[in-house]
Amino acid sequence: MESLRDIRQNIKAIKSTQQIMQTMKMISNARIRKAQDAMTAARPFAKKMLEMVDDLKQDILSMPQPEEGENLAGRVFVNRTGDPSKIGLLLITGDKGLAGSFNAVILRAALQFLRDHKDKQITLFAVGKKGRDFFARLKMPNLHIAYESVGIFPKVSYAHAELLGEAVMKAFLKDKLGSVTLIYNDFKSLASQNLVEQKLLPFDFEHIKKEREESDFVFEPGIKEIFDILVPRLFKANMYRILLESQAANLAATMNAMDAASKNAGELVNALGVKLNKVRQAGITNEILDIVNGANALNG
Amino acid sequence: MPKKLTLNLITPEKQLISDLQVDMVVLPALLGEMGILPGHVKTIVQLGMGSLRYKKDGKEEAFAALGGFVEVLNDVVNVFAESASLADEIDEEAEKQKIKAAKASLSNKDADIDFELAEMEIKQAIARMKVKKRQM
Repeated sequence: MESLRDIRQNIKAIKSTQQIMQTMKMISNARIRKAQDAMTAARPFAKKMLEMVDDLKQDILSMPQPEEGENLAGRVFVNRTGDPSKIGLLLITGDKGLAGSFNAVILRAALQFLRDHKDKQITLFAVGKKGRDFFARLKMPNLHIAYESVGIFPKVSYAHAELLGEAVMKAFLKDKLGSVTLIYNDFKSLASQNLVEQKLLPFDFEHIKKEREESDFVFEPGIKEIFDILVPRLFKANMYRILLESQAANLAATMNAMDAASKNAGELVNALGVKLNKVRQAGITNEILDIVNGANALNG
Repeated sequence: MPKKLTLNLITPEKQLISDLQVDMVVLPALLGEMGILPGHVKTIVQLGMGSLRYKKDGKEEAFAALGGFVEVLNDVVNVFAESASLADEIDEEAEKQKIKAAKASLSNKDADIDFELAEMEIKQAIARMKVKKRQM
């Protein structure tokens, strides 16, 4: 049987852990507001950009076919000359654990993806320490890591999105990847995150729903020049949005995990408190019994 | 009532102007300044660095816009700028400091720095200062 001292120490330890968890929860709570604000502020750019691509759809589709993989815009939108046996995978995880199943869900999906495509050459892009470490542990000959970025959360800026976008587009173009898939957690609400697996490149016109017959735009200086800057910009804006979503989702997950953990800790403390009282009471009862027995023996 | 333009100014980080009714917009296009009035043809323009101005009820407001592009469609002007700041908020001293710092890092040949980035910073700072001067 545990002694009173053991139980008291146990309670103390749990209480101090609980304090840490509560602090972590409050930190996430404070950061998440900022993250959400950044997310809402970045949304119009990505949204309006997509609307513009929508307006330009006719022009894009009727664009002259570019030479063999040289032109990014052509590669992304029209001329799908990529090698289907080479694909890319962009994984966005968090840097730290203690966020419930946030990272585990992503890594499980990534593992499944790698299994499904194990006969292909896969170029990996990792954002977040968890994903990076995961890739580093894998020893499969068909994988190679093209880009990694750790420690950017929770201070994502557009510069990070630029670097990431640059790296992904460069690999897509240079290595003639057939496609690039993205796996990350989308911010749904404070209480839940959505695992998203989507094709990032080549650009998919399918999800542009409204049909607008707009054409005959005047391009200044020229259609090729415009697309050469428009496509990377569109892609990076999208990357930025995704990084911000992931960041907010991660913070929300941390907050929920810490909330649940500190509640559990509270329950543990209560249970131990009951146990402590019982043990103490048992001790007292024993002592009384001793005294009564002793007195009885003397009197008897 | 004369027709108006609807102006949106957006950077990746935030939306600076949203659905503002204006009379005229002047863009710092790559090949020179370009005025947009209501009824303009559908256009996509690449932006250079310079001052983006709009006229509203006879008053003019200026921004420093640095790169990006503009879509003009059905009297809606969507400006996608890489970075933009209101002319009034530009701090000339701070810009000068930035130029100084960038130049210093450029002249230091041993340092492992991104030359393009430093040059870009200088160009941007100069563009911002020009807009500021012009406004005063």
